[in-house]
Amino acid sequence: MENILLRNNISRLEEYFACGGYKPLKKALGLKPAEIIAEVKRSNLRGRGGAGFPAGLKWSFIPPGPDGQKYLVCNADEGEPGTFKDRELLRANPHALIEGMAIAAYAIGAAHGYIYIRGEFAAEAAHLNAAIAGARAKGFLGKNILGSGFNFELFVHRGAGAYICGEETALLESLEGFKGQPRLKPPFPALKGLFGSPTVINNVETLAAVPSIIDKGGDWYAALGTAKSGGTKLFSVSGPVARPGVYELPLGTAFSELLETHCGGMKPGKKLKAVIPGGSSTPVLTAAEAMALKLDYESLAAAGSMLGSGGVIMIDDSQCMVKLLQVLARFYHHESCGQCTPCREGCGWIEKVLNRLEEGGGTPGDIDLLYSVAEGMTGRTICALADAMAMPVMSFITKFRGEFEAHAAGKVCGK
Amino acid sequence: MPKLTIDGMNIEVPAGTTLLQAAQQLGIYIPRYCYHPKLSVAGNCRMCLVEIEKSPKLVTACSTEAAEGMAVSTAGEKVKKARRDVLEYLLINHPLDCPVCDQAGECGLQDYYMEHSLQKSRFAADDKVLRQKRRAVGPHLILDNERCILCTRCVRFCAEVTKTAELEVMERADHSFIDLKEGRALDNGYSLNIADLCPVGAFTSRDFRFKQRVWFLKKTPTICLGCATGCQIEAQHNRNAVYRLVPRPNAETNTWLCDYGRMTYKAVQAGDRLEKAMIRRGLIDIEPALREAATRLDEFKGAAAVLGSPWLSVEDNAALARLARESLKTAAYCFDHTAEQGIKDGILINKDPAPNTAGLKKVKAAAGGLSLEEFTALLAGGKVKVLVAEAKAYGLVKAAAAAAGVRLVIFALNRGDAPASAHALLPYASYFETPGTFINYQGLRRATAPAVEPPQGVKPLWAVVNKLASYSGAELHLDSPAAALKDINF
Repeated sequence: MENILLRNNISRLEEYFACGGYKPLKKALGLKPAEIIAEVKRSNLRGRGGAGFPAGLKWSFIPPGPDGQKYLVCNADEGEPGTFKDRELLRANPHALIEGMAIAAYAIGAAHGYIYIRGEFAAEAAHLNAAIAGARAKGFLGKNILGSGFNFELFVHRGAGAYICGEETALLESLEGFKGQPRLKPPFPALKGLFGSPTVINNVETLAAVPSIIDKGGDWYAALGTAKSGGTKLFSVSGPVARPGVYELPLGTAFSELLETHCGGMKPGKKLKAVIPGGSSTPVLTAAEAMALKLDYESLAAAGSMLGSGGVIMIDDSQCMVKLLQVLARFYHHESCGQCTPCREGCGWIEKVLNRLEEGGGTPGDIDLLYSVAEGMTGRTICALADAMAMPVMSFITKFRGEFEAHAAGKVCGK
Repeated sequence: MPKLTIDGMNIEVPAGTTLLQAAQQLGIYIPRYCYHPKLSVAGNCRMCLVEIEKSPKLVTACSTEAAEGMAVSTAGEKVKKARRDVLEYLLINHPLDCPVCDQAGECGLQDYYMEHSLQKSRFAADDKVLRQKRRAVGPHLILDNERCILCTRCVRFCAEVTKTAELEVMERADHSFIDLKEGRALDNGYSLNIADLCPVGAFTSRDFRFKQRVWFLKKTPTICLGCATGCQIEAQHNRNAVYRLVPRPNAETNTWLCDYGRMTYKAVQAGDRLEKAMIRRGLIDIEPALREAATRLDEFKGAAAVLGSPWLSVEDNAALARLARESLKTAAYCFDHTAEQGIKDGILINKDPAPNTAGLKKVKAAAGGLSLEEFTALLAGGKVKVLVAEAKAYGLVKAAAAAAGVRLVIFALNRGDAPASAHALLPYASYFETPGTFINYQGLRRATAPAVEPPQGVKPLWAVVNKLASYSGAELHLDSPAAALKDINF
């Protein structure tokens, strides 16, 4: 299959244009906004940021019509450990995002768009700004785009280095100049988002898929994937495989194909033990579970995990699961915004218990304690960060309890 | 008007009503820390989680609006477990220094722990997150970050009520803490409300700190006399001493209480409180002083004048009016005071610093008398030889009276309030010690209630007037505050 998103020699405007770029925008501007939304719904494009919410449905929540200020925001605050596909996309194909945003903005009636890019992506932000300037010079952005009467201004905003700003309402707070903390919902951003106006927030990969959908049709895109999840997905593969990296594959591709065919299997002498399939917050799978799986939203949900952002972390049998969980706990403890009691206190507590288990000072009771602290955080907070901490804790303990018990009995890694 | 059930009870509420408010109407109290009816909803403490039938997750009652057909449970096992869990999380890094904490006895952590948890801690006590301990953050408050549960009521109060925004949550996760913005102090005129709002011992009052254990305090509902707003308050006292004033929230006048109003009790217990009388700066017993003052009044009968006061109750002013008309039989009396009425800061503090300008008008309506201009002119004219007045009201005519060399018989609570030149200073019972009727800027008639006893021998002003009149030969027969109010039409 030919890649839709990640293609060679397409990052410059002239290259992108030569491949038929910005023709979908022209086509879209000739359609009614409702027709575009219908096309995207037909494509079964689901949000690529992690939650997998159907993109067309999200757009349709925006009050239709030309009245009132509306915003389109691209979430490029890629911070989920194990995930690095948006950065790759921004480097390789920035115009697909820009064009996708112009089409989406036209569909929802937004005159202003923002790309909230992770602060550390300084080079990507500069690259993106240059691409925007180029697109603007050619009349693909700005006033009266391609003579259609549609105006759309696009701005790049660099974040300041908080994982939580990838949560869409925390992102909006940060974009408005406040401390990045998730907002209470409802109201949802579709009604009250950026600066209090209706707002759609989509991931980079989601928006970058839009031009192809408009170009070749929703049905074509849907047919690339499974019955319920259309299109291709970027997978960021890390761990001891022969060829780690970002791979664009149709949804529904077998995990074994990703590992064996695309990544070239495990490195010599390494044996797969476990897989975190969709970024660090998704529940871990054993190697056997993973090898039997197809990579799409439904299959992973059925297996008790999530496709998430497509950040596939391969774990070999030389790795200690307690140590790995400790690393994750340190991350979530550091990144909890601190608003909600269970997350603020629970993340720190979990890290402390894992520290003593890892260092040999734990007790057998600590394993159940960890599990119950995580359980008490689940589903009880404003945003999903508490769940993102709790899910690995509970799944690591459930699937690799023996390793935790060994530590509780006094094992210390590396000794 | 959505209809729903809460714990099996039916209720219909206006659209937009939250589950917490609807439950409250049914008499069901849902525990909460961050929620406050007069502040925006933050939804961060997670203490008010309740269960909605068919909803997979618990929801916060403070932020979830009632909807048609909802079946809400506030007492199921899921909800109880969530409350226990939240309390456990809140307590793991709490210093548990209740024995030395002023909040003990009125602490949200203590109360809810007893009611909803009673679990043994599973947290290692030596592994707590340490934060900054007590430090002054303004003239009225001490902040102890270690006790803080980060409910942000204080932050929202400063942002939304005083609009001064001194406070902010700094940092993230369990290392986050409340702090002053750089270069700021918490001195916005309403800062002590934060000590009330704070559900734990993080913010405590510098004035009240370590003075009393709260469970010893008795509570007397009364009103604040700091200005014409007339806030409803509670005087909290023990062993005949007032320790603090707190607001009694009410729909008509006040939710909060200003820092100035909260400190008004201090004058009553101050070192310069007049507990005896003074004649020409010499401290003497009240009885001989009254005899002396009566002699002066008799000496200048026909040249005596009486001034009413917007700082005195209607009863006490009415007694002064009767002194003028029935005992001194003078036309030189004035119960006239005009001041612009209204809230000057958008919160509580009134343009009129006197608590009873409206009440004084009632006395004038009944007793008549001169306008303040006429009275001042009369004093300046030199015909008046002796003036009976309350100390703060005397300030209104001070220049004219001093220039004319009028002999002064002054009622005062504190020596510091009284003119040094007074011939006689007479003590009287403050309104923390005796009931008095006041009318606030809204025209609402309210009464003070005595919380403590006056100093020995000190009587209400109307009673002192009654004695003064009888010593100068004309009985007024005032034997109760009600008797003083006889001619007043409210």
